[in-house]
Amino acid sequence: MNQNSPLKGIRIIDLCMGWAGPLAARNLADMGADVIKVESCENFDWWRSWEATPEWIEEDGAEKSAAFNTTNRNNRNITLDLSHPEGRDLLLKLVGTANAVMENYSGSVLPKLKLGYEIFKEVKEDVILLSMPAFGSTGPWKMFRAYGSTVEQSSGLPHINGISSDPPMMHHVAYGDPVGGLNGVSALLVALRHQAKTGEGQFIDLSQAESLFPLGAHGILEFTANSTPPLRSGNRSSLFAPHGVYPCVGEDKWIVIQILEEGQWLKFQEIVGAPIKKFGDLKDRLSKLDELDKTISVWTSSQEAQKLMYVLQEARIPAASTQNVSSLLNDPHLNSRNFWQWLDRAIVGNQPNPSAPFYVNEKRLKIKTPAPTLGQHNEEVLTDILGLKQNDLDRLKDIGIIGTKPRMKIIKK
Amino acid sequence: MTIALKGLRVVDISGTISTEYCSKLFSDYGAEVINLEPSSGFKTRQIPPFFSGSKVSAMHAYLNTNKLSVLKENLTEVELLDLITEADLVLSNGEENKLLSACAGVVSDISWYGKGGDYENFVGTDAQCFALNGMLGGLGSVEGPPIIPSGYQAQVVGGMAAFVGSLGQVLGVELGNCKKPVQIETSIFEASLCFTEVGAVTFFNTGLEGKRLGVNRFPPTYPLGVFPCKEGWIGLTVLTPSQWHAFCKLLDMEYFARVPKYQTALGRLKDINTIEPVIKNQLLNFSAEELFYKGQEAAIPLARVPTMEELLEVDQFIERQAFTTAILPDKRNLKVPSVPFRLFKTPPSFGGYVADLGENTEVFNK
Repeated sequence: MNQNSPLKGIRIIDLCMGWAGPLAARNLADMGADVIKVESCENFDWWRSWEATPEWIEEDGAEKSAAFNTTNRNNRNITLDLSHPEGRDLLLKLVGTANAVMENYSGSVLPKLKLGYEIFKEVKEDVILLSMPAFGSTGPWKMFRAYGSTVEQSSGLPHINGISSDPPMMHHVAYGDPVGGLNGVSALLVALRHQAKTGEGQFIDLSQAESLFPLGAHGILEFTANSTPPLRSGNRSSLFAPHGVYPCVGEDKWIVIQILEEGQWLKFQEIVGAPIKKFGDLKDRLSKLDELDKTISVWTSSQEAQKLMYVLQEARIPAASTQNVSSLLNDPHLNSRNFWQWLDRAIVGNQPNPSAPFYVNEKRLKIKTPAPTLGQHNEEVLTDILGLKQNDLDRLKDIGIIGTKPRMKIIKK
Repeated sequence: MTIALKGLRVVDISGTISTEYCSKLFSDYGAEVINLEPSSGFKTRQIPPFFSGSKVSAMHAYLNTNKLSVLKENLTEVELLDLITEADLVLSNGEENKLLSACAGVVSDISWYGKGGDYENFVGTDAQCFALNGMLGGLGSVEGPPIIPSGYQAQVVGGMAAFVGSLGQVLGVELGNCKKPVQIETSIFEASLCFTEVGAVTFFNTGLEGKRLGVNRFPPTYPLGVFPCKEGWIGLTVLTPSQWHAFCKLLDMEYFARVPKYQTALGRLKDINTIEPVIKNQLLNFSAEELFYKGQEAAIPLARVPTMEELLEVDQFIERQAFTTAILPDKRNLKVPSVPFRLFKTPPSFGGYVADLGENTEVFNK
């Protein structure tokens, strides 16, 4: 028994690229599933680079992407040219040994490769296929292309964020990706449970755009419950005051302060002192937001953000200093909870890896292996699982079906 | 009939947005979910948005379709213990609760910062998670202040992460890989790091960190953002050289396509002051809808950026039944998002009834 490996014995064939699909696969691998990622030397995961050059290949650029390496740990990696009949056949044989296949190509890719759920089902009756295109596998947009940013834009989220005088505000360069990934692993777990109970596989259709609707539910419901569009009021709340992000000592240092109860306000008044004594109850404060925010900003401007966070939190006042992404590796809370796990990785050396966001029986899920290099497990997978011999591997390598180095695509006229 | 998670009993003893979103995914796929509520009801019954002129929470309705509501005070101690003992999964907010020791299955705590660590006793909010995870600092105008993401986004992500950890262990027990009882502990803050963990590792390797460059500017990708059109708003993401060439052709600015330094996203970003005024001007020749379809036809991942009102009318989402109906005890209907993933053989519930406080208590009185 190993609580760290609840999915031991389950095999996943991962055809995903980028962030969303591989993050879903990573969660499964973290929980002990045997995840075999399939790339090809020409069609490698675009998160290694979308601007590949011969120099980049020569300098092992494909192995240096922090984004790729962070998202593909604990899995095995093989290359197969799926556009070649033999590569495709090998994939199907592998599918024949698996519980599930997952893919996040745009809608036209699998049909072009003569692959899909019905074909996978022919080789494995109870197989699960998770398909997670941006807009789902049905509907007029099923073939449309998108990145995580496109998904956020399409979800309507920008219209409930920011300030009304600015354009609708996005959150992130690829907000839809990690959310799509969490939904992807959720969907597969549900289907794997059904498969374990009944021996039935099935097709799963996941829309990454719809995956963001729960995050925007407050805005959607504001409209559906009241027929009024939600206001984009920035940091202000119609229910609480003060509620904002205030400047502190230093360049671009800020603190979030949100007074959500009157008891917190009284404590806040004690800490700040005279400058805010003139503000009264919530109704009074909500009527003087400009003056209140200005007064607090003057006070916080002489405070050190992180120190103030601890002072306010000690008084049970919701507050947090803004951190930069660069400071996350030194965050005292994360480090005391062993959030970052350090593993030595070929080509790039010792690397931080973020843990799964949950403990099991008071322990972190241990990350067993860093992201493999391209085709690192060709021999292991193709011989151990599919029974190929060394001369088969040599031949496949000679004709370019497998390999361990990316190749520039040859444009066929 | 939803059957994928049939036979599982989930009991929520805390009623936070995170526990309720987690258990919603269970109920959407057929598990029996019981909200064990105090006489005042779970706090989510008092969170906005509300139906106009009332204190009925639309958010609570969305999160609680197809669940049972049981009043804790109206159960005897034996009934209460039976309810917990028979549960496959008990969800809590991480606060001490003697009921949890009775659970023989999976106990799943979802708290803001988890147990242990400097922030363990912090009063948590969604905005704090985004401040501490490094995302907030990148949002808003250059001069600041950074702009807080609205709503309950970190809590929903925390609920998703907890669903993964919880169902993973439930399945592990059923497969014989794990033994009961199991304790899962999810930190909402750590779950929200899914957005920024890659940035942190990238910084470790490159020393590069993007500064806040203004609303909708996310280096190194350019053009990316939400821009006004003749009618409506268009979302741009132009990443690869081929997308850039197609985008320049679409907007009738092919001279940009030939500029060597504009062949990379970073090169374009460096010259944003030259490029952006032209792009903005050219976008005004199109409606967002027209540009969206033309862009997609040219293999450029453009997006219409719908308002909440428009979102409900998007043909793609209508055809996929992306929105469904929650039915409240007073018979009011509320349009709510459907579950985002669809298992074809064991489809989820689409919408459903929202139980009134304590409505199902008698079922558990023996």
